[in-house]
Amino acid sequence: MERVKTGIPGLDEMLGGGFLHQTANLVEGAPGTGKTTLGMQFIYHGIVACGEPGLILTFEEFPQQYYRDAASFGWDFRRMEREGKLRVVMTSPEVSRADLEQVGGRIERLVREMGVKRILVDSLSHFERISEEPVLLRGIVYGFINSLKREGLTSVLTRESVALLGEAEGEDDVLAFMVDSYVLLRYVEIESAVRKALLVLKMRGSNHDKGIRQLEVTSRGIEVRAPFEGREGIMSGSPRRMVDSFVQAFVRR
Amino acid sequence: MEERELDLAGRLMADMDPRLLQFLQTKINSFVKWDLVRFFHDNPHTTDTADNIARYAGRSVETICTELADLAREGVLEENRLGDMTVYSLASDHQIRELLEQFVKASDDRQFRVKAIYHIIRGTRR
Repeated sequence: MERVKTGIPGLDEMLGGGFLHQTANLVEGAPGTGKTTLGMQFIYHGIVACGEPGLILTFEEFPQQYYRDAASFGWDFRRMEREGKLRVVMTSPEVSRADLEQVGGRIERLVREMGVKRILVDSLSHFERISEEPVLLRGIVYGFINSLKREGLTSVLTRESVALLGEAEGEDDVLAFMVDSYVLLRYVEIESAVRKALLVLKMRGSNHDKGIRQLEVTSRGIEVRAPFEGREGIMSGSPRRMVDSFVQAFVRR
Repeated sequence: MEERELDLAGRLMADMDPRLLQFLQTKINSFVKWDLVRFFHDNPHTTDTADNIARYAGRSVETICTELADLAREGVLEENRLGDMTVYSLASDHQIRELLEQFVKASDDRQFRVKAIYHIIRGTRR
């Protein structure tokens, strides 16, 4: 099966080659874990390596922020926009939703005119502004995700997690059921240093690596490295060495 | 005497590209509009409601509503209906975009800014 490669070393291997075509892929993490960078790298790789124009829908950051952040990795987003391979659109969830519901809306026109294949939506968390009613919100987000698929787009949808370390309490995981894949980024504390972990929690219609890998943001973008060896409880944010757990469980009794 | 000084100042301040002077006097005749056109220049693909634009621009919606409508009337912005919302985006007119580009570039120069501020203040006193 042909895959939509993210171009992120390590991640494509975890995904069995990349995302599946025309799917919605959720990337969730706390601020600074690398969600937006992952999404930008997915868009950048599509443009330079696969000839697939990209669209970034931002609900919070100004486009200048993306140009600046991309430039720090050597990705010239301004030039790509001038060449018609990329469009960074600052808008709001309510407007983009209404636009996609329309026949011949602005996003639909962009997709047709530019031949957009990949989209980064940064971030889905802002949809919560539209309604506080969970059932209504679920319907709105479901419709939005489906409209992206209808346009033939493979999407990376970011979502903010409030917990800096470990699992966030009380998070509504309804979204996890709607998307085709679910990638979690987490901070973990190991020997008094904060590191980042990546886990592919779900991938519909495909096998995937279930390991918890180390994630590094380098000068070239994100790199997903080897799994955390000899530790457990990584996603709790405070992993223990497995040998310590063994001692605690058996030796000290 | 005072009038003659004003005229002299006026003449000095009018020493700019006539197209930009006209653009300033007829379309960007308030500081809020100046902010708004700068915002749309920096975010040329934005289409949004007055509420959201106010939030992006750090202004109150009451402050920008009339100004957005004025800019749309003057052809700098486009005003459209999207579902039950009124949304604004930068006009697709090539000449307007070119003029805006020149205006924003010129605004980087302090001398130009001083002149532009003079014309805006003078315009609001009329």
